[in-house]
Order: sequence, then structure tokens, then C-alpha cells
Amino acid sequence: MNVWDLIILQPILNVLIAMTNYLFSSFGLAIIVLTIVIRGLMLRLTLKQLHATKAMQELQPKLAELQKKHGKDKQKIAQEQMRLYKETGISPAGCILPMLIQMPIWIALYQSIMLALAVTPEGLLNLSRYLYSWPVVYSMLPLESHFLWLDLAVPDRTLILALLVGGTMWVQQKMVMSQTADPKQQAQSRMMLWMMPLMFGFFCLSFPSGLALYWAVSNIISIGMQYFVTGWGGLVKPAAERRAIRDKKYKRRIAQVEEVASVEADVGADIVVADSTQEEGLAHEKLGDERKDRGRGYPERLRAIRRQPRRSKGHRPKRR
Amino acid sequence: MWFNRIFINLPPLGRSFIKIPVVSYLFKHKPVLAKTLLLLMMLLVIMSGLTGLGCIRGLQPIGWSGGVIADGTLFVGSKEGRLVVVNIAAGSRQWSEPLKMPTSGGFGCAAPAGGGGCAASTGVAIYGTPAVAGDLVYIGGYNGRIYAFNSSSLGIRWVYPRDSYLKPIISGPMVMLNKVYFATSDGKVYALEAATGNKEWEFQTGDKIWSTPAGDGSTVYISSFNNKLYALDAESGQEKWEFEAQGALASTALVYGNTVYIGSLDRYLYAVDADDGSQKWKFMGESWFWATPVAYDNVIYAPCLDGKVYILDAKSGGEVADAIDLGSPISSSPILVDDKVIIASQQGVVYTLDTASNQINTLADIEKEIYGPLCASDGIVYIHTQDFTIHPVDANTGAKLATISLKSSE
Repeated sequence: MNVWDLIILQPILNVLIAMTNYLFSSFGLAIIVLTIVIRGLMLRLTLKQLHATKAMQELQPKLAELQKKHGKDKQKIAQEQMRLYKETGISPAGCILPMLIQMPIWIALYQSIMLALAVTPEGLLNLSRYLYSWPVVYSMLPLESHFLWLDLAVPDRTLILALLVGGTMWVQQKMVMSQTADPKQQAQSRMMLWMMPLMFGFFCLSFPSGLALYWAVSNIISIGMQYFVTGWGGLVKPAAERRAIRDKKYKRRIAQVEEVASVEADVGADIVVADSTQEEGLAHEKLGDERKDRGRGYPERLRAIRRQPRRSKGHRPKRR
Repeated sequence: MWFNRIFINLPPLGRSFIKIPVVSYLFKHKPVLAKTLLLLMMLLVIMSGLTGLGCIRGLQPIGWSGGVIADGTLFVGSKEGRLVVVNIAAGSRQWSEPLKMPTSGGFGCAAPAGGGGCAASTGVAIYGTPAVAGDLVYIGGYNGRIYAFNSSSLGIRWVYPRDSYLKPIISGPMVMLNKVYFATSDGKVYALEAATGNKEWEFQTGDKIWSTPAGDGSTVYISSFNNKLYALDAESGQEKWEFEAQGALASTALVYGNTVYIGSLDRYLYAVDADDGSQKWKFMGESWFWATPVAYDNVIYAPCLDGKVYILDAKSGGEVADAIDLGSPISSSPILVDDKVIIASQQGVVYTLDTASNQINTLADIEKEIYGPLCASDGIVYIHTQDFTIHPVDANTGAKLATISLKSSE
């Protein structure tokens, strides 16, 4: 047995089997719990990595600016980048190193699940090489592979797990996505956003569902951690974009109201429209001022319109 | 996702390494395409790493059929999913049509009905040793079908079931009382009429069955993963008794005298009374008793996955001699040649154990992995290794004879 098996794979595998014994002989529950435990143990590293990645994302506009500024002078760009990293205290390796440390654990967990499932005679025979002489381990084998609607040893043909893995991966990807004005980067982000979930969704149709269960649980945990560090990230639109969309809506609404008002004025309705509305709107558009309503519904000028009591013989009660 | 994080950090870390002209051209003129390709390559490396590391052993059925010799002809299931007939004297070989898979296995590491994905084997896996009776030879495949071939022409006489597939068959066939007995991995034992393949009876156990039925003329003994050993009436399929061990039973039973010997995954070898299913004794090893033991002169020679051969008194279960450590797990069932027990370790070393002195000697080092049971004829032991080859070894001198390839292309 090599060092990898001895130090990493064997302990995880035996703990996984022993845990099955204490979790109502459910291998599915053991996969979920062990995934949570391992992710919990690696929490510090994961958070460190997430923080570093976030900082790196925030630095992207400055890096882009540097590239724009220095054009094809790669040496200068590299120098400036290093200076920027030093100034901000960010190390690009800080994002990757924690991840590299975690990867062997993920792979060992993956291997443990595959080994413990022992789908074929070769698998069961091979499993015997990795077992500790704990009675609890021997009494559990072969493991019961049924969990909920799944046979953990074979792919889930119901598509539920594939959709769950793909969906959670999409959410996670979306949260990680950084907002950028660069169309190339946008295209790349879009490609990442869809390609990974689709690929893993496809894998779920081919790999034992025990492994897909691990991916789903792992993704959900990652979403939680990502939320803890960056919030919903790219899942919700940035405030500026939200404001722009809202302003657009308001303008459209004002235009509609003005249109209605002008029509009603033509037929003798007495809705009062502030004279300066149009100018105000234009000025606001030109100067890019902050809106006065502070995001609490209709802008001031629109409220003025809405506050006018109706004098017509409508059925709706007056607003106070 | 960590791929994304790598990607975010690719510019400062990796771009300086991308100096290859084609790559730099792609990055310069088609950056999105280049990054997509790079990402795909990374994914492929990671996935092949995962599947490679995890898939090397045991996630795809490959098979380890033993051989059976009748009238100077060796019958064995190849890893290509064919029945192979070898004329031992002439060295001529003949292959059957490959067993058919019910559906494609697809990509990945789940165990499909017939292989595919990362398996070394391209055909239907065959685990059971063929059985020969009269002019027919019987063989079962992982595709869930049992076949009867004409032993001389290799033409198919019958196949069961004709229009469908059962669950994977890991068990081998056993012929007795003009019936073929076999079991499937959904826990069913079947008895078919040997000449026609018509079903006589079936018996459902509580869990999957990977072992070959054993018989003593009137009773069929079969072990199941539900920890139970069943004794069934060979004619009617009625249960006579059942014995429950503490662990799952995956190995084939040995019937010797009036006792059934069976190894379990709880690390015990059990001796069970063939009349009533009561336990006579049990012996604990350090790992599973996977291979079927052999008996000679009231002594049981029980190989174990802990790499030891335990020498036990057939009546009491006491150790007649110290266990012999071969240093490598033993999953291949040993064979008796005259008064010698021939044992092969997984590592590929073949030993001869003298039953008179209980001394062990190395017979030959095949240097290939051995999982399947051994067979012998006229003092020659035939060893089917995992590299599609039969290695004949002289049981007396240890001389290695010319190997026989089971690849149909050679």
C-alpha cells in the first residue's frame, strides 16, 4: 500500500464505513455527514481561499486598467501588477494554495465512496485491502446501497440528482461570477456558468449516484460558505445596475402617466401635473443625480401626480 | 467553483508559461476559444485523474473465469466475453461468438451490464467457471444470460432467458441431475433442464448471490449476501434448511463429508452440518475467506485474503499446523493435484503445499495477477491471469510451459 492510501485514503474509507454503522446503516447518510465533517474541518482554508478570491476579483478592474494603460509592454504590466499586489497585500497564490491543499482530501473522499460502494466483485475484493481490523467495519460490509429513491452504486436515472447537482453548481458559479464590463470576460463567465453544471449534470447520469450525492452536498455547503463571504454575489444584480433598471422603469412609467394625463386633459380631466416634471426628468438624466426618493417607491414628482384626489366619478375611494 | 477560481488567477500565474506559438496565437486572436479549450483540458485532466485513480480497480466488471478440462480440452471464459476452447495437446484454440451486452454501458465508472467506460475489458465479464456435461458446455455472463454451447463446434444450443436478460450473473453454472444450477445478483437461484434450457424452478434468497452453487447429489448449497447459506432440494428447489453467519457470504461452499464449509466477510470460516444446517465450528482469520477451500484427508486448507493459508482439522476446526503466510492476498481457489495443494497468490506466485508435511514451496512466479480459480489435468496446472493469458505450470517441477493467449486477435 502506498503512502497516499495509507495516510489519506484508508482512514477516510474506514471512517466512512464505520459511520454507516452509527447512522442507521445508511451509506447515503454517512456520505452526507462525512462530507459536512470534512468541509467543516477545512473551513479555515476554504474561507481563506474565498476571501483571497474575492479580493482578487475586486482587483480585476485595476488590473484591466493597467493593461489598458501600458498596452503591449508586458514587462511593465507585470511590474505594475506585482506592485499592485504588494500594495494591496494580495497574493494570487493565496487563492490557489488552499485549494490545492484541499484537493487531495476531495479526491480521497471521492475514492472512498467509489471503493466503499464495491459495485463489482473486483471492487469488493479490492476493498478488502483497505480495511482496518475494526469489527464494526467488517460487520457493515457489503454496504447497503439504497438511500431514499437512489441505488448509490448505479447512476440515478430519474434526473433528479443530475438536476440538483447541475442546479447547485450553477448557483454556486453564479455567486462566484465577477461583474465585468469586458465583453470577452463576460463571454468567458457565461461559458463557465453553463458548461460546468452541464458537464457535472452529465457525469451524474454516468457515475454512481453515491458520488453525485457527494457532489450535491458539497455544492450546497459551498453555496453556504460563498454566501457567508460574498453574499449572493453574481446571483443578484449589482446596486448600480438595479438602479439603472429601476430608473428606466420609472421613466417609462412617467411617460405612460404623462400620456394618460394628456389624454385625460384633452377630455376635461383635471389631473395636475407639475410644470417642471419634464425638465426635472431631463436634468436628472443629464446630471446623473441621485434620485430623491431613496428607493422607496415612486419618485417625488410621480407621487405628486398620484396624490391628487380624483374628482371624476370613479368607483375607487380617495387616497389620503 | 474552484475551476473558476483557478481561471480568475490564471492571468498573473499562468500566462507567462503560455509560450507555445499555437497557444499564444489562440490566446491572442481567439481568447474565448483558447480559454474554453484550456478549461476543457483542465477538466479532462481532473476527471481522468479522478476516474483513473478511482477506477483502476473494481468499478468495472472485468471477470476472472477459471477453466475446466474435459477430454483433453480446456474451456475458459475470456475477458473478451467469449468462451474459449483450447486443445491442450495441440495448443489450438477456438473462440465462441462474444456474449452480447443488453445495453451500452456509457461513459463513467458505474458498473453497467457489460462494461465500457474505463474497463480494461471490452466484452461481457465472465466470473464463473464453465461447466461441462455430455456434449454441452455451460457458461454464464455478467450480461445476465446463461449459454449452452456445443463443446466441439461451439455452436449455441440454447440461451436462457431467450428474449431478455436477468440481473448480472457472477455465479458459475453447476450441473447435477441433468439440471444446470446458477444464481443471479438479484438473489435468485435457477434450475434449468440441462438439455433444453427450460426452467425447472427458481428460488429467491434475501440478497444478491455471487457464489456458484455447490451440490452433493441431492442438495444444492448456495450462499447469499444476506448472511445466509441455503440448502435446497435439487429436484424441487424446496428449502431444506438455512444457516445464518454473522457476515455476508460471497464465496462458494465446499461440501466435504457431511459438512459444508463456507467463508464469510465477517472473517470466519464456518463448518455447517449438511443434514440440518447447524454450526459445527467456526474459525477466524484476519481477513475474508474469499476463495473456496480444499479438503484432503480430513484437513481443510483454507486460503484467506490476509495472505495466509490456514490448515484446519475438518472435524474440530482446530489448527493442524501453523498458518502459512504467502505475503499476498489469496482470492484464487486452490486445487488438489495428487497429494499436493496448489495455491496461487494475487501477486502471481504459485505455491505447492505438501499435505503430508504441510511444507510449502514456491512452484513458479508467474508475475501476473491471479484472481480466478486454478484447474489441473495430467499434472499440469492451468492459471488464468488477468492479462488474457493461460499459464500452464508443471505441478511437480514448476516448469513453465508455453503460455496460451486468450485474445481472439492473436
